[in-house]
Amino acid sequence: MLSINRWVALGLLAFSSGYGYLAFTYRILPFERFLAMKPNTLPIGLAVAGMICSIALLLMPEGQDSASGEEKTVLGSDHKYLESPGDYEWGKGVALLVLAVVYALSLRQAGFLLSTSMFLIIGGIMLGERKYWILVPVSCFASFLVWYLVDEVLTIFMRPLPMIFYQ
Amino acid sequence: MWDQMLLGIQTAFTLQNMLFAGLGCFIGTIIGMLPGLGPMSVVAIMIPVSIQIGDPSTTLILLAGVYYGAIFGGSTSSILINAPGEAAVVATSFDGYPMARKGQAGKALTIAAISSFSGGTIGAIFLMGFAPALASFAILFWSAEYFALMLVGLSAVAAFAGKGKVLKALMMTLLGLMLSTVGESSLFNAPRFTLGLLDLQSGIHFVTLAMGLFAVPEAFFLALDVLRGKKGGSQEAREISNLRINFKEAKTIAPVIGRQSIQGFLIGVMPGAGATIASFLGYAVERNLAKPEERKEFGQGSIKGLSAPETANNAASTGSFVPLLTLGIPGSGTTAILLGALIALNLQPGPLLMQDRPEVFWSVIFSMYFGNIILLILNLPLVPYIARLLAIPRTYLIPFVLFFAMAGAYIGQNNATELLLLIGFGVFAIIMRFADYPLPPLLIGFVLGQLFEDNFGRAIRNANGIQFLWERPMTLALVIATLAFVLVPLYRDWRSRRKRPSLG
Repeated sequence: MLSINRWVALGLLAFSSGYGYLAFTYRILPFERFLAMKPNTLPIGLAVAGMICSIALLLMPEGQDSASGEEKTVLGSDHKYLESPGDYEWGKGVALLVLAVVYALSLRQAGFLLSTSMFLIIGGIMLGERKYWILVPVSCFASFLVWYLVDEVLTIFMRPLPMIFYQ
Repeated sequence: MWDQMLLGIQTAFTLQNMLFAGLGCFIGTIIGMLPGLGPMSVVAIMIPVSIQIGDPSTTLILLAGVYYGAIFGGSTSSILINAPGEAAVVATSFDGYPMARKGQAGKALTIAAISSFSGGTIGAIFLMGFAPALASFAILFWSAEYFALMLVGLSAVAAFAGKGKVLKALMMTLLGLMLSTVGESSLFNAPRFTLGLLDLQSGIHFVTLAMGLFAVPEAFFLALDVLRGKKGGSQEAREISNLRINFKEAKTIAPVIGRQSIQGFLIGVMPGAGATIASFLGYAVERNLAKPEERKEFGQGSIKGLSAPETANNAASTGSFVPLLTLGIPGSGTTAILLGALIALNLQPGPLLMQDRPEVFWSVIFSMYFGNIILLILNLPLVPYIARLLAIPRTYLIPFVLFFAMAGAYIGQNNATELLLLIGFGVFAIIMRFADYPLPPLLIGFVLGQLFEDNFGRAIRNANGIQFLWERPMTLALVIATLAFVLVPLYRDWRSRRKRPSLG
């Protein structure tokens, strides 16, 4: 089984190669051919450097990087979460990210006020908040306040209500 | 000249203008705290309101206050929740956030306030004394020198290349540079690497990337680890006594403030450089000047590492008024908007402004002293209250951090794709943190990437080759400095690795 460092290095190699392929096959306009620096000059250089760097990371002996515990930062390394996964609440972390995706997708249909209030309320409940009589008004007030500040005071348009009201 | 300055003092210190300077600082600080609303947007938003005032001096004083207030406000969200909503305050989060995590949020905010104040005030003194002379010096800087300046700025990544991390930091910088090439560029005619997606046509937005890389992983790790918040800022943030800096700390940051005020100001004077580059450069230079034991603290909560970019970005924003007021050249996005405001007020910025409307020219400069004092008076007493934000229960804090990060990318765009991209960057950042990759180099690469390519392209076209690298003395000196900044840690790393087996 490859370690996370190897997987990441492999991913970076794949990304650099893909980027390099796109840079290499980039269609240069006729009049750009004679430029000292073409649109893909720097990208090709970056892709090559990225590939060399990721191969070096892939081949670097395990233990030469800080993740293996050689050097710990003052605040501690985030690698510790993988070392003892049982100690942490992974479900909550992942659920929060899923909720963020749902929030992003709902903004258009449900409007800013409803989707933001729901995001803050559900997020709070997911993380263990049970004082609903505080959570619900705080979330609704916060979303209204941000909307009011951005839309009304700063006059940057943000659709407040669900799409249904605009049809 | 003295008569003109006196006229400026009289104009600046009328009750009306002092009130507007204070109001500008206050509005800038509050709105600047919201990620996604950087100085440029805040100043742009304030233009219609301020033009209504009618008096050019008052308008400019208000807008200048908003400008440096917003830069200061941005540093607050950087320090407290690792959400730098503006490129100029990214470097502030490198050491400001670790300080907040260690329970020194109050101290970090105090250092930021004092550094900003000093940078702004010293900058204003320089502006007063050397504005006309500096303006002619600044235009001697060509794209070749700008390119070399970007290189020095990029060398700031060396701060994140601790033992064994050099390759990782380098890889992240390359990744940032790659991402900066996505979308349209001022040098070329067609957008690049958009994969046919219309949303990528204008490139990846800074706020989307910054929030994805910094704020999303933070919210995720806080949700994952119940103890993370407790052993971090929340508990200790309640200790207000911790906000004072002691004599030893003041002595440590004093030379940093001195150096970075000058350096930041000079960089701000150069059109196109601005507060962002000044802050990265300030961080890189101070790290390289620090003693070896102090250097280790950079990126881990070093007070020097926090003070340097905060001083430099405020000094640079003051410096950027030099080309605007004396040559009529806007050196940054924000000063370009200010130029628009000046023209709307029937003023022609340029060499004649100082002669034709001395009261406007000098009153703006004098209002900066006042504005900076207001900023300090406004912010220092608020520090304990702002720091308490970290004591909010995690069931509220985590969703709110995530919400603010996403709102930053959503405001003004009304585009959900931007948010999906942000979460995508967030997931990527989480994986990278598991593998102990430093993320700031990616953002440094991204921010400087576009300028890097533009200036490199222009320099190559002007010189018809890369000989400008050694033919222009200033470029050569900057390139050598960069090489030293990058190669020295690489050498140290290599040497320590050679020693390690013998120790085992």
